[in-house]
Amino acid sequence: MQILQCEDLTKIYKTKKKKIHAVDHISFSINRGELVGLLGPNGAGKTTTIKSLCRLINPTSGSIVIDGTDVIRHPRTAFEKIAAVLEGNRNVYWRMSTKENLRLFAGLQGYSSRQVKTKMDGLIDLFGLRDKINTEARFLSRGMQQKLAIACALIKNTDILFLDEPTLGLDVEATYEVRRLLKEKIASEGKTILLSSHNMGVVEDVCRRVIIINHGKIVADEEIKRIKEFFQVNSYRFEVEGEINAGTQDEFTKRFLGVRFSSDKTRTEITIDLKDSMRIYEVLEILKEKGSKLLSIQNVEPDFEEIYLEMVRHEK
Amino acid sequence: MRNRLVNLFTAIFIKEWISLKRYPFNTISAVVTVYLVFLLFFLGYRLIGGQEAPFSSTTEGFIVGFFIWTYSIAAYSALSWGIVQEARQGTLEQLYMTPLGYERVAIYTVIANFVWSLVWVLPVLVLMMVTTGRFLHFDLITLVPLLILTIASGYGIGFITGGLGLVFKKIQAFFQILQFIFVGFIVAPADTIPLLKILPFSLGTRMIARNMIEKLPIYQMPAFDILVLVVNAVFYLLVGFFVFKLCEKVAKDRGLLGHY
Repeated sequence: MQILQCEDLTKIYKTKKKKIHAVDHISFSINRGELVGLLGPNGAGKTTTIKSLCRLINPTSGSIVIDGTDVIRHPRTAFEKIAAVLEGNRNVYWRMSTKENLRLFAGLQGYSSRQVKTKMDGLIDLFGLRDKINTEARFLSRGMQQKLAIACALIKNTDILFLDEPTLGLDVEATYEVRRLLKEKIASEGKTILLSSHNMGVVEDVCRRVIIINHGKIVADEEIKRIKEFFQVNSYRFEVEGEINAGTQDEFTKRFLGVRFSSDKTRTEITIDLKDSMRIYEVLEILKEKGSKLLSIQNVEPDFEEIYLEMVRHEK
Repeated sequence: MRNRLVNLFTAIFIKEWISLKRYPFNTISAVVTVYLVFLLFFLGYRLIGGQEAPFSSTTEGFIVGFFIWTYSIAAYSALSWGIVQEARQGTLEQLYMTPLGYERVAIYTVIANFVWSLVWVLPVLVLMMVTTGRFLHFDLITLVPLLILTIASGYGIGFITGGLGLVFKKIQAFFQILQFIFVGFIVAPADTIPLLKILPFSLGTRMIARNMIEKLPIYQMPAFDILVLVVNAVFYLLVGFFVFKLCEKVAKDRGLLGHY
């Protein structure tokens, strides 16, 4: 059952010299409980799309319906259903503590502190903020601030959560923690999530479906699994003894797409995306010609990042 | 619905208190700065041979004028700087996403600010009275409504500048200049030139002075003046809010609500 329908959404910014189509006639819908990634390079139109869905930007044309409510005409009714974390840690009050922020955001939705006490306790524990309950947000680590921003959105108890670049600027550990929370805890509550990111790893890890956007247009809207199938990319990793010289590397790069090398002094790994698995023999032929001793061949998961870049390149 | 509004008001009221509490340096420096400016004017005027006080025929009149000026700056800054600050922090967009309406958030912010401003405006008033040795009459039944109606125009101007600040990012220098233009409004002789009653603060300051100095209660003041003061307050608030909504539309068209 669809909870969000976006039809022909367009946002044009007019400057003195030109018109910029930040979002160009995009349409998509999201089912209740679905986790959808909005993926695209910087400047693709992700933030404009999300802010238009939140009615923080006036779209030039198009319609947005959230759970039967026209967002353009009745934004307040729609705000009963949606919460958003925009631009990460900038969403919370830095001079207010964890608890004060959570209470304020509950109040903005019309809830009293008493009404949300149980939920607030649950969120504080879920996000590991118990020790920082009275700490001002400005003294929290960036990862903690980000988690607090998400908790503040969740305390509003809405059906839909928009997350704009939720892991931007976080270190590896904090990124992993946020991803884990989104995937394992929040998604299991049946929330509908639209998560924008330019980071393929985050989207691939958290979402089942991805909308790829570039230059304000939708390039693809598919389940991640199906996109991988569509491209029918098979990635193979060839492990050879010792290092391989620059000439050999050039030869691989010229003949195959999506070639990656990694090596230490004792061994080299060559990972190649092959649409036609018969070309594996071509790889072996080159290795034989160059006298490289093959140690192993592995079939590896296709790299979603490569697929995404390929799609964006085609769009250009 | 009523409970939800009470909850929203409570949240905003506490938020404003926390912001006052968590910026103690700002609060204390505001008190000190305003008091020093007062001393500069008052003692400076005396040094150059002035008899009573600058901008007024009496010291008491000067204290009242300065008190209104301080309060008006507090009111106006809460909206002008406040809105710009929220946009800069990225929290303005969150305030906009309340299902109870940003308009209510803004009105509740005004009420909370009016109350919490007393925390630092009253000490300034007491300091001024102690320094000059002139103690003013405090009749809260008259003073509070007159103060609300007088300061309302400051909130109206705050809405205008806050809205313009969302759209034109370089307008902030003007915010400070405007504070000094307020002095002109406050000292404008509304009692001798009736047309000046339409200016912000002007008539209200005169009426507050009559209460605090001459002990004239509100029910003995001319009904016409009270009417003009009410119309003045409503007019500036409505115009301020209208201009703010226009600026908000432009900001939403240009995607500026969270941009700084």
